Amino acid sequence: MTTKEIQHLHWRAGFGLAPKQLLTMVDKSKQQMVNDLFLKSKPITNVSFDFYEFNIYTQNYIKQNKERQSALSKLNEVHTKKLNASWIKNIINTNEVLREKMTLFWANHFVCRDRNTKFIYKYNNTLRQHALGDFKVFVRAITKEASMIKYLNLNQNNKQSPNENFARELLELFTLGEGNYTEKDIKECARAFTGYSHDFDGKFRLRKNKHDTNQKVFFNKKGNFDGDDIVDIILSNKQCARYICEKIYIHFVNDTPNQNHVEDMTTVFFENYNIEQLMRYVFMADWFYDKKNIGNKIKSPIDLLVGIHKIIPFYFRQEKEFYRVQKLLNQVLLDPPNVAGWKGGKNWITTNSLMLRIKLPSMLFEKESYTYTTKGNINNKNLRIVSVKNKYQEKLDVYADWKSYKKSVKKLKLNNLLDSLILCEINSGTSRYISTFGRKPKKKNLVKVMSLPEYQMC
Amino acid sequence: MERRKFIKNSVLASGLTLVPSFLKAFETLDVKNIGYKRIVIIQLTGGNDGLNTIIPYRNDIYYKSRPKIAIKKNDTLKLNDDLGFNKNLRPLKQLYDSGDLCIINNVGYPNPKRSHFKSSDIWHTGSTNPKKQTGWLGRYIDNHGKNAHTAIQIDESLSLALKGKFKNGIATKNATELYKSLQESDFNTILAYQNSQQHLNEHNLGYLYRTMIDAKSSAKYLYDTTKGNTLSKNYPKNTLGNQLSTVAQFINSRVAAKVFYTSLPGFDTHSNQNNKQDRLLTDYADSVSAFVKDLKKQNNFKNTLILTFSEFGRRVSQNYSAGTDHGAANNVFIIGDQLKKQGLYNNLTTLEDLDDNGDIKYEIDFRSIYATILDKWLNVNDTSILDKSYSKLNFI
Repeated sequence: MTTKEIQHLHWRAGFGLAPKQLLTMVDKSKQQMVNDLFLKSKPITNVSFDFYEFNIYTQNYIKQNKERQSALSKLNEVHTKKLNASWIKNIINTNEVLREKMTLFWANHFVCRDRNTKFIYKYNNTLRQHALGDFKVFVRAITKEASMIKYLNLNQNNKQSPNENFARELLELFTLGEGNYTEKDIKECARAFTGYSHDFDGKFRLRKNKHDTNQKVFFNKKGNFDGDDIVDIILSNKQCARYICEKIYIHFVNDTPNQNHVEDMTTVFFENYNIEQLMRYVFMADWFYDKKNIGNKIKSPIDLLVGIHKIIPFYFRQEKEFYRVQKLLNQVLLDPPNVAGWKGGKNWITTNSLMLRIKLPSMLFEKESYTYTTKGNINNKNLRIVSVKNKYQEKLDVYADWKSYKKSVKKLKLNNLLDSLILCEINSGTSRYISTFGRKPKKKNLVKVMSLPEYQMC
Repeated sequence: MERRKFIKNSVLASGLTLVPSFLKAFETLDVKNIGYKRIVIIQLTGGNDGLNTIIPYRNDIYYKSRPKIAIKKNDTLKLNDDLGFNKNLRPLKQLYDSGDLCIINNVGYPNPKRSHFKSSDIWHTGSTNPKKQTGWLGRYIDNHGKNAHTAIQIDESLSLALKGKFKNGIATKNATELYKSLQESDFNTILAYQNSQQHLNEHNLGYLYRTMIDAKSSAKYLYDTTKGNTLSKNYPKNTLGNQLSTVAQFINSRVAAKVFYTSLPGFDTHSNQNNKQDRLLTDYADSVSAFVKDLKKQNNFKNTLILTFSEFGRRVSQNYSAGTDHGAANNVFIIGDQLKKQGLYNNLTTLEDLDDNGDIKYEIDFRSIYATILDKWLNVNDTSILDKSYSKLNFI
């Protein structure tokens, strides 16, 4: 494999590679490399998160006590932001790179939002657990998640007056895609999911008295279906496999789907809805490495931030600053824009988000703004405080771990560095600009490379 | 329209192909458009309590529903025999007296959402489809805007309202800051090395370069145009006052923008509402009043229309902690010169017929207001922007 192809695989199946990491891989075969990715993602490690502050808030404790309820809701607000930071930390530090990448993908497929931190944490774990597993088991699990039950009003869906919100999104967004079902199907589907509910701890509960046990007619099949039966019927339609494959193709391969490739994927996926098998097929396919599929995607804000972190680890002194950066870049984890999720692609880019993307590396690392003193009780000597104080720059309080960076680029030439940072073709004007940098991968040059529009691509 | 076609059209429309260096061309466009109509939008974020803003001081239901927080008749500025302004809106009352204000009551939409998030999206997109990802003003720019600065939000990031499918508005708190920050980063240096039309393609990378070029030309344009015009000091020092003084700087410098977007947050008054709302309404009225004076002085008021809205009103009944919870329909203010309908556009509901949650039912769809503004003020086809035809109102 060429270094470009190795990078391509690791950007799509992960968040890029540190320059030195790349060099250790050049001798491996495609098969080996793909196997490694899946092997590393065999274990399932959830985001580590401490809920001890929630311990006192039992159901009885807050019952009919508005003050305690509002204290709990404040606690949730704070902790959902903390969970956001912990999730990103997990993405950065995990060995299960592919699993985390898939978890992010599914979080933007089974889109959900919940103020209740415990519920959304549990939801996040469910995404991770099934990220490379059996899609059928996955969909069934999602329909029984407290956060989803709340988010799409399943808890208001009862046999006297069905609420169709969940049923509609299940068919339209989660499994079949618009236009592949009738309004009657939605109504019957909603009936099968009546009575879905959860308890105070977020455990699934079927309220039998609200559940409609009568016969339903769904996609021309008759039966006393419940939710799980409905999922089975949906998946028996090849369109479901096709819909998921197209979405995966757009996310992992190219914004413009190639119908032949999607059809090949569909055949593989429809066999048994095994997600791992599908992803292996994609990463092993020759077309995955076609030149036109390399470096053609715009990085999501999380791709961008995590990717930079792999080159030069950086740490915000205040988590809320990292949160704000996500907000300004238009992607805050756990806070999707709506049930359809982030659209991705060109939609990541607004005039302002692009200005920030170009400016971001210098905000994080700009040389002129270094102060070399370490403050506070920082045990790790490698960390320095970098505080950007330029008059017109945004101020960010960040530690940059340059020592790790040095280790990863030692004895590299600028050209190698460029190869490992930039995947797309560099346009001629920008090539001339780069030729003014000199040959060494100095810090200053590194920041310049990461400020290029080309660096926004993966 | 296909993207490529769209790009070509917009290039032709701006006469770009005639100019050898297309980079420079962007920067010189559109300075002739002096004195044309523009709209300023103020969002009262959090859900302003309309009933304590325009008070039905003779309504028993109002007083019964709000024993703790209802505003007494003597504390209102009488507007007619039924309604009075919150006394903190004295400057607004003056606009009312001079015929520059139109109050539209009971504005909302079907099946109201009571989440800030969802209801804001509905107001921003102009659609109740939760999957709509473009703003009504973004679609206006898509169809009628030439550059990013056609729509300017005075903030650090762009609201959904100003995001289009092909084009976006630009967010900035300050033209100088915007311009200099591009100079400080590598932004301008990178662009300085570009000298061909190679980026004018529809690939993602080309899109990035084009967006950068747009940003640079807008930043330079805004900086150059506002250079001689300092910010007026006659504004109250609050979030909205700061934003509106920046808007006035742009308008008085004759920046070729059609849309300005501002917001005042903090209206989510679930507890001890009156103190908070009093302060916010004071900020609002003082800022708007200073803004109108500023525009009038420069003879720019006649071409400016100001729309004030909130994502929802609040519940008619107070809650347990002297506040109000999220409601539905609410009032909207239109401020402008020579309004066709001055004062009250319609009567406030009697509060007898509320919805199941005890909220005000909507009488006027807010998209009728958007449609009216698009059609009668900005003179564009409202149906294509709102995806549907809404009946027009008669305030302008």
